[in-house]
Amino acid sequence: MDAALTNYIKEKYPSVKCAVATCWEEGPKAYHTCNNSWYTFMDGGPWAPWIPSKVNTHAPAANEAEDSGIVAIPHLSRDLIACYDGNGSNFGTHPQNVLRGMIYDSKTWEFPYLYNLIDQYRALAKYNNGYAYNMMFVGPGWMNKMGRWEAPYELLVKSYEDGCAYYGQLKKEGKLVDMTMAEFADYYREKKTYTEPECALWKDILYGSEKQLFWYCDPFMRACVNMDQGGAIVDLRPYAAKLEWEIGIGTDHIQDASYPFLIQEKYRAGYFTHYAGEGTVRSAKITYKGEEVDLCQCRTKAHFSQEGKDRILTLDPVEIVFADLTLKLQSIITFTEGSSEIKIERHILEMSDPSAKVDINEYIVACYGTTEYTEDMSSVRLMLKGSEDKSLDYAYKCREDVLAGADCAQALVPPIKTLVTLKGEGPDKQGYYKEGYAFSPMFTLGYNGTLSDKEVFTTWLKLERAN
Amino acid sequence: MAQAGKGKLNFRCPSCFMRDLDIDMFYDKDKKEYYCIRCQYTGTEEDVLAKNEMARFRYRAIAKRITDFD
Repeated sequence: MDAALTNYIKEKYPSVKCAVATCWEEGPKAYHTCNNSWYTFMDGGPWAPWIPSKVNTHAPAANEAEDSGIVAIPHLSRDLIACYDGNGSNFGTHPQNVLRGMIYDSKTWEFPYLYNLIDQYRALAKYNNGYAYNMMFVGPGWMNKMGRWEAPYELLVKSYEDGCAYYGQLKKEGKLVDMTMAEFADYYREKKTYTEPECALWKDILYGSEKQLFWYCDPFMRACVNMDQGGAIVDLRPYAAKLEWEIGIGTDHIQDASYPFLIQEKYRAGYFTHYAGEGTVRSAKITYKGEEVDLCQCRTKAHFSQEGKDRILTLDPVEIVFADLTLKLQSIITFTEGSSEIKIERHILEMSDPSAKVDINEYIVACYGTTEYTEDMSSVRLMLKGSEDKSLDYAYKCREDVLAGADCAQALVPPIKTLVTLKGEGPDKQGYYKEGYAFSPMFTLGYNGTLSDKEVFTTWLKLERAN
Repeated sequence: MAQAGKGKLNFRCPSCFMRDLDIDMFYDKDKKEYYCIRCQYTGTEEDVLAKNEMARFRYRAIAKRITDFD
């Protein structure tokens, strides 16, 4: 449901208070899964309920003035690793999704994954002030007498009966409260405030890895932090822009209802590319005597905490080994409610040579779009502000510039009305920007600096609307 | 031969499935094989079931009941 539809419904039928508005991460990857025949793109939205803004359904309302009047729920609660890394349609709390993914024992017809998924959603309460949401929203048509996928009718029925029975068991144990959509809308408005984020530190429950992703969603951004890549930000959507984005016949976007990204590591390469340089990602590099290590190469684990308005991810320290220096570095990522900023601190905890100095390069490679295919970057402007102001208008010419002691490095992205600002504080800081070229149509903002033992380099990435 | 139809169950191509593509296969009654119209895969029901088991290789925790999410 786009914002225009929701606004129309609220005007005509003001008593409507809740709607299934989107389906999580059902964009180009779901299109591919369906042999390029599923013409609804809905990447970039929240994975759990939210109050949509009047302007854009994906972007939560920041205050009462922006409130669309409904509580939105996503169709299905999805696996926040499997649906992001995979095709999206096999990993939700919909029993036939689990069968579609063949995530069951073909002999015993057991599928513990469904219950693991429900239980991980319950566990998200610890990141959201005691609130956790889950739903199974499917009609009986999925229990087709002819079977569906490779599953015969008997398995379809079993999966539905067993799934519902599990919810019933949880209810009897007092671990679940079942609600109608209208009841849930009332509960949600009572429980959450407008700027309160939705957080999820999600662990792999299917592939047997130790991968973690942290998802953060508030009225200003949706961000994904990947601990397998040293805490790199691998998906970033600037809700701060509250993009006007009409969909439907006769509009610019027709069926593309995704919220545009600045960073999307699957569609725009991420850390690994088949050429020199990176695709879209927010990370840092440490260099010593000509050797370079990107934190994307450093797997780690995250620990969540909340201090007042701050949601904090403290990552386990990583060891970086150069030819004649070893150091331990710890990243701490802070999301401050209502700030529209992501703060990242890199702490050097110890060095094998305490007198050594390493170079740090904090960077964001970004672009914009909703699919894998590049958009026209020629309206993008890159800027450095500080002792002097520098800028360039993007022309795919691989130009770059640097400013010692820069106050900030910025990118203005007019097609998505977004201003990206990177600020840094630390020894010998200098801001820079880099323009891309046709074969790498991104831009890079960054801060270079130095770090010695026990020192810290801090950056803030801010997203704002730019009219 | 007559036109192909569906087999006894709606088998998807196991080769396409490994690429996150859901493609329903057709069944050739004369050759007694399932085949994919998107790729080159052909196989008996026995082979399809065997390849579907192989496709599950990614799910190393498929049989695990997980209750600790810390």
